[in-house]
Amino acid sequence: MSERKIGDVILKVDNISLRFGGVKALTDISFDVREHEIRSIIGPNGAGKSSMLNVINGVYHPQEGTVTFHGEVRRDMDTHQAAEHGIARTFQNIALFSGMSVLDNIMTGRNLKIKSSFVEQALWFGRARREEMENRRVVEEIIDFLQLQHVRKTPVARLPYGIKKRVELARALAAEPKMLLLDEPMAGMNVEEKQDMCRFVLDTNDQFGTTIVLIEHDMGVVMDISDRVVVLDYGKKIGDGAPDEVRNNPDVIKAYLGAH
Amino acid sequence: MIYREAGQFKTSYEKDSQIFPIAQDRYAVVALLLIAFVAVPLMATPYVFSAILIPFLIFALATLGLNILTGYAGQMSLGTAAFMAVGAFASYNFMLRIEGMPVLVAFVLGGVCAAIVGIVFGLPSLRIRGFYLAASTLATQFFVVWCLTKVPWFTNNSSSGVITAQQIEILGFKFDTPQEKYLLVLAIVAIMALMAKNMVRSTVGRSWMAVRDMDVAAEVIGFRIMRTKLTAFAVSSFYCGVAGALYAYCYLGTVEPEAYNLDVSFRILFMVIIGGVGSILGSFLGAAFIVLLPVVLSVIVHYTGLPNSVTSNLELMVFGALIIFFLIVEPHGLARLWQIGKEKLRLWPFPH
Ligand SMILES: Nc1ncnc2c1ncn2[C@@H]1O[C@H](COP(=O)(O)OP(=O)(O)OP(=O)(O)O)[C@@H](O)[C@H]1O
Ligand SMILES: [Mg+2]
Repeated sequence: MSERKIGDVILKVDNISLRFGGVKALTDISFDVREHEIRSIIGPNGAGKSSMLNVINGVYHPQEGTVTFHGEVRRDMDTHQAAEHGIARTFQNIALFSGMSVLDNIMTGRNLKIKSSFVEQALWFGRARREEMENRRVVEEIIDFLQLQHVRKTPVARLPYGIKKRVELARALAAEPKMLLLDEPMAGMNVEEKQDMCRFVLDTNDQFGTTIVLIEHDMGVVMDISDRVVVLDYGKKIGDGAPDEVRNNPDVIKAYLGAH
Repeated sequence: MIYREAGQFKTSYEKDSQIFPIAQDRYAVVALLLIAFVAVPLMATPYVFSAILIPFLIFALATLGLNILTGYAGQMSLGTAAFMAVGAFASYNFMLRIEGMPVLVAFVLGGVCAAIVGIVFGLPSLRIRGFYLAASTLATQFFVVWCLTKVPWFTNNSSSGVITAQQIEILGFKFDTPQEKYLLVLAIVAIMALMAKNMVRSTVGRSWMAVRDMDVAAEVIGFRIMRTKLTAFAVSSFYCGVAGALYAYCYLGTVEPEAYNLDVSFRILFMVIIGGVGSILGSFLGAAFIVLLPVVLSVIVHYTGLPNSVTSNLELMVFGALIIFFLIVEPHGLARLWQIGKEKLRLWPFPH
């Protein structure tokens, strides 16, 4: 593995239970995430992986348990607070702003850095204009980093699937997050696109030190790039540890064999 | 080959995010402004000013207002005329009740009142959307007009409810003739259009579009949904309010609740649909189209010798057909057709 240093625990979820009516999406889940690590969540379809991410950044509110982020313990996160605390994410089903260009989509990722009011923006004056240019500069760096130069001005609705996924990553990176939650960033991609995406995820982790929580179905990818892996099945945690440990865990093997 | 951006390399982000990044567009806009401010006032007749140009500009402003709310922020509204009425009556009362109130300040305050009413009636949008929101804005429409008719204070106890608008005087200069009024309206509309353009290319505009396109994602990246929607209602209503005041002061010459009925709201909605949802240029194209349509049709009817009564029916039919056409075939309206034309022109005469 690379020599990047994995730090202290920055996110901890304890005894999280989440129900939708009678459906138990998550039951008594606990795990932690360390600074700068790549932490994967795997499990068969419907295991509760996406629900877990939604709990971490406050889209879903668990009935039981706590989320501790940067030492602050709370019952649930609030989406806005999560964003302000530096948690960014991508979605399993692409959630781009379909009526806007690639550039504008990525620019939205910087909204929390904006201090000027809408009146200043209407007048395109002083601070508003400076902020716009400064954010544009940062966004252009991200565009270069993710190699999106050629589609900069294209409306996202016209892009192929693989590029859309990349734009969504760019939008999340524009916030300069401390922690990035990626929900199946490589799903539905061909081998080449997967390799690109893998590289981008690793580079992000490497260059910016971003902590990454990743959901992925492709075992090869998961085992390759993760520092530690959590395995969920039917809303319960059945495994947690380094890739090799998890791979040889009999419960995990059973869950995967059972699901196939 | 005339209309090309080749060779125009952007050397800074500042240049690249200009309102009109392509030089030809910039020249065209400067030319258009020169025509509007210099050539037109020299040539147009009073009829053209008061029957075509002034209503066109005022409706364009109101359409811009509705487009901000519906096109950019994705919130349906059938209450446009109500916000215009608030702007008109508020301006009237500010001028009536405050000694020495400057006209322009009264217009701005009228817009601010409309914005406040907009925020109040925008509150339901936090809970409901689409058809139900449209129905609730329809209630706004009826409630506001009813209020203005029933509460005599608003109309200064006038028995008929129709009040003559005060004279417009700015820094000692009186705006009496259609030509002078046209210039006043043009200046206000040009400035407000520029401000709208600035908003939609900044964070506030992107927040509207983000909430329109995917509100969960917008929230996750840090936009506050409530604030975003209410800002859209406020800005939109401000534009409508100023348009309403101009409608009373520069077009009708009277301030009356009935001038702001549901018909007007629908008319402005049609302008948005035909011109182009979510386009500033489209707001102008839509307004021009709908203001000109009856004029053009009546000329046609006149020359073909058809009875005059045909005009209004023909107008309705053409309207209906066009709206269906745009809704089904080209939801982005005339503005999109214009853009397609430009893209073609960019390649012309070598289409491949
Ligand atoms: N908003 C919701 N309302 C009701 N049920 C939900 C909701 N979100 C998730 N669920 C249910 O919770 C369970 C876990 O779903 P989740 O989407 O978290 O699974 P997943 O592990 O991400 O699956 P996949 O691999 O298919 O993405 C499923 O049974 C799902 O139907
Ligand atoms: Mg999922």
